[in-house]
Amino acid sequence: MEALARSLVQAVPAIAGVPFWTVTLLVMVVTAAVLLVFALTFGGVGSYVLRKVAGDIQVRIGPNRVGPYGILQFLADGVKLILKEDIIPAKADRFLFVLAPYLVFIGSFAAFVVVPFGVGLIAADLNIGVYYVMAITSLVVVGILMAGWASNNKWALLGGMRAAAQIVSYEIPVGMAILPAVLIAGSLSLQDIVRSQGGLLGVFGWNLFHNPFTFFSFFLYFTAAQAETNQTPFDLPEAESELVSGYNVEYSGIRYAFFFLAEFGDMFIVAALATACFLGGWHVPFFRADALPALWGNLLSLGVFLVKAFGLVLVMMWVRWTLPRLRVDQLMRMAWKYLVPLTFANLLGVSLWLLVFKGKGIPQMIASIF
Amino acid sequence: MGLKEYINDIFEAVVTTAKGMRITARYGVDASEEVTQQYPEVRREPDDRFRGFLHNDIAKCTSCSMCVKVCPMDCISLEAVRGADKKFVLVSYEINIGRCMYCGLCVEACPTDSLVHTRGYEKASVDRGELILHFVHEDPAGIRARVAKQVAEAAAKAAEAAKAAEAAKAAASLAAPAATPAAASPAAPAATPAAANPPAKDDPEKKG
Amino acid sequence: MTTPAEALHTQEMLINMGPQHPSTHGVLRVLLRTDGEVVVNARPDMGYLHRGLEKIGERVTYAQFMPFTDRLDYLAAMNCNCAWAWAVEKLAGIEAPERAEYIRVIVCELNRISSHLIAFGSFTADMGAFTPFLYSIRERERVNDLFEMTCGNRLTYNYARVGGVSADLPRGFLEKTKEFLDYFEPKIDEYNKLISYNKIFVHRLANVAVITGEEAVAYGLTGPNLRGSGVAFDLRKDEPYSVYPKLDFQVCVGSGERGTLGDCFDRYMVRINEMRESVKILRQAIARIPEGPVLAKVPRVFKPAAAEVYVRTECPRGETGFYVISDGTVLPNRLKIRAGSFVTMNIFEKVTRGLMIADIVAVIGSFDIILPEIDR
Repeated sequence: MEALARSLVQAVPAIAGVPFWTVTLLVMVVTAAVLLVFALTFGGVGSYVLRKVAGDIQVRIGPNRVGPYGILQFLADGVKLILKEDIIPAKADRFLFVLAPYLVFIGSFAAFVVVPFGVGLIAADLNIGVYYVMAITSLVVVGILMAGWASNNKWALLGGMRAAAQIVSYEIPVGMAILPAVLIAGSLSLQDIVRSQGGLLGVFGWNLFHNPFTFFSFFLYFTAAQAETNQTPFDLPEAESELVSGYNVEYSGIRYAFFFLAEFGDMFIVAALATACFLGGWHVPFFRADALPALWGNLLSLGVFLVKAFGLVLVMMWVRWTLPRLRVDQLMRMAWKYLVPLTFANLLGVSLWLLVFKGKGIPQMIASIF
Repeated sequence: MGLKEYINDIFEAVVTTAKGMRITARYGVDASEEVTQQYPEVRREPDDRFRGFLHNDIAKCTSCSMCVKVCPMDCISLEAVRGADKKFVLVSYEINIGRCMYCGLCVEACPTDSLVHTRGYEKASVDRGELILHFVHEDPAGIRARVAKQVAEAAAKAAEAAKAAEAAKAAASLAAPAATPAAASPAAPAATPAAANPPAKDDPEKKG
Repeated sequence: MTTPAEALHTQEMLINMGPQHPSTHGVLRVLLRTDGEVVVNARPDMGYLHRGLEKIGERVTYAQFMPFTDRLDYLAAMNCNCAWAWAVEKLAGIEAPERAEYIRVIVCELNRISSHLIAFGSFTADMGAFTPFLYSIRERERVNDLFEMTCGNRLTYNYARVGGVSADLPRGFLEKTKEFLDYFEPKIDEYNKLISYNKIFVHRLANVAVITGEEAVAYGLTGPNLRGSGVAFDLRKDEPYSVYPKLDFQVCVGSGERGTLGDCFDRYMVRINEMRESVKILRQAIARIPEGPVLAKVPRVFKPAAAEVYVRTECPRGETGFYVISDGTVLPNRLKIRAGSFVTMNIFEKVTRGLMIADIVAVIGSFDIILPEIDR
């Protein structure tokens, strides 16, 4: 952020007189605004795509009335939600009830800060990137529990409790499944992890093909992370057919929209992390994006990253419309008895591999033969 | 749980999920699989036997009231008056299609096939009164008055005819006693030749 | 010494799984007393859809009551129509012509397929897989098209009459039905691949709410719920009526293939297999249907002799029986409707003890209840 502020002051001499902290603050605010717009747009367009994908899979047409091919449906939904009556149940804990959606949204949105969108396109390249994401997304649990409790509704409470148990339990496999990528890169910073997958090996430079353990790690991460985002088959906290929308049953209008946007934000974060750690991030196959002039390189790498991330989001939607829902005890069983041991074993495997083969992956070993 | 079962569990989960995802992917990708129609631009035409809204052709209706008696929901009401020719004239015929359950018993019961189901099914309205269909478009009071007039005229005509018949009969009976003595004498000689005839008639029979 | 669990004061929650709920298959209220997620007691509260059908039966004639039987189990309306027709025919000693009986069997089996499709679809939707529901609706629409061709309506048919059926099959009906059967049979395998044997689905249903054969008989369960527990009792085979003795089909029984015998999965699979058997029955009936009249001569003013009769038939949700008392007038004296779903609810409280809340939904779905039949 400071580097960007400095370069801005250099580029535009007119603002040299302004104190440096103001410029930095301005840069921060603009970046945050850009990310917010991206997150909200993704939430809206994502909901449209979700409904269209659902329609295609379910042999029907999705939304197609508002705008050509229904593309403006999310705007109509947004306007509708804003105009709805804001109902707060009579005996609800007002303060917690009002605070909960914000916490959930912050938990999801704050993780956008470390997403490596492209070459040099990252809001803050924290040297604890992965650790920061894991920590900040846990805020969602607090928000959901608050929402469940403050609604003064037993169904919401059940949903909140289930969500708390689920998200907290699945954090462990998520963390462990990401660790192989960290081990290979040797750094927690996401830009470093992406850079470590670069090189002229192209697609085979990806961590996915590094060794069999990271291959499994990707699928384990994807499964565990789908649970983090409350998607079917892990959507118990908001099981439509049982809990009638679970923890957000009492929320109406824009407060509900916050939960909804947070869910899509989480989906993107999961996809972005999976792309960055396993699918090569913003690397264009067989191409050196950082060798291009600054703007083109940025845009190309951004485009590639978004394509990969959106592809993963589509896969998540595909799985969502295929599978039924797990019961809460089965969910816990899957986390603790299957995912945790498997990710542990994976981590051990990767560590041993790196030790034995001195950090080289299978594609690199094959390439070094030639 | 043994290790083999454990691995088998994971394997089965992955395989069944993949099979299911293949099926949904096929549907998701194939656009021709969409079966929904964009109503109201594309409207599906109901079949011939579709039991839509009811329609009564009052030209054919004989006011027999079979439909009224058969309806389980009491949604048909009709009023008729006897006309001059002793046949019913329909004064009002109403069907409350809001109450109707489209069972078709009335259509089956109609002897003249004047009551039929149409193929209509779109009549959403904001007022229940709109759902009461009236099939006699003339004003009931007007019909009643007209029929009453006809009946009165017919009665008057009948009365006149009766009076005329009475008068004729009276005239005939007055003329009859004067005519009878004159009628009696020709009748008597007429009777004898008539009496004489039978024996002559019998002879050929006796001969044959 | 008290354990931490005992020392901690926990309370039972009384949750109202109210009449408005996405998964109760109608307006069923279940009062759940739970200890966290585990159900201590689940008491069903029925009656939200009571319309007094049996009382209505006392003020309309036998022929006029036919449309009301449509609304008894609206997803299997043909079955209820024909059940009422058989009951009144037995009461009055009328016999319907053979073509009418074949037509009745054809429409009843088609309706069995469409009813089981809804049972399958809504059950999987309750379990969280929203997609198979749409596929089953697509198939059901084709069955509805066939029914619309025949009698004019897509849900409440009013097709059977005392003495036969109201109208003969239209031209092209048998060919179209054959087309539908050829199209539909592979779809059952597709459903099995998509969802029936999916590991998550199997885990949700296996070993949940096990009902043994003896319990099932003791509580009066009928239909797929009884057969799911291993009891091979099907009224079409054991007390045959109409032309079922001439048709060859298997009775589908649960086999405990993915859990215990008599769990939710068995009841579910019985319904899937029954769809296949119905296809078999339909093919035979279409091949054998004779020509002839479709309605016997029944007097316009129908006054059966004073008698009482109980006739039961195999409807998709169990045994639907009509107990009719006639007193020699045009109106029935009393008619009592025995509905499969109502008797199934008897075992609900017993079977849900100790289950989790998510399992309650599975149990309701596996029983395939429908509220108009329960509440009448």
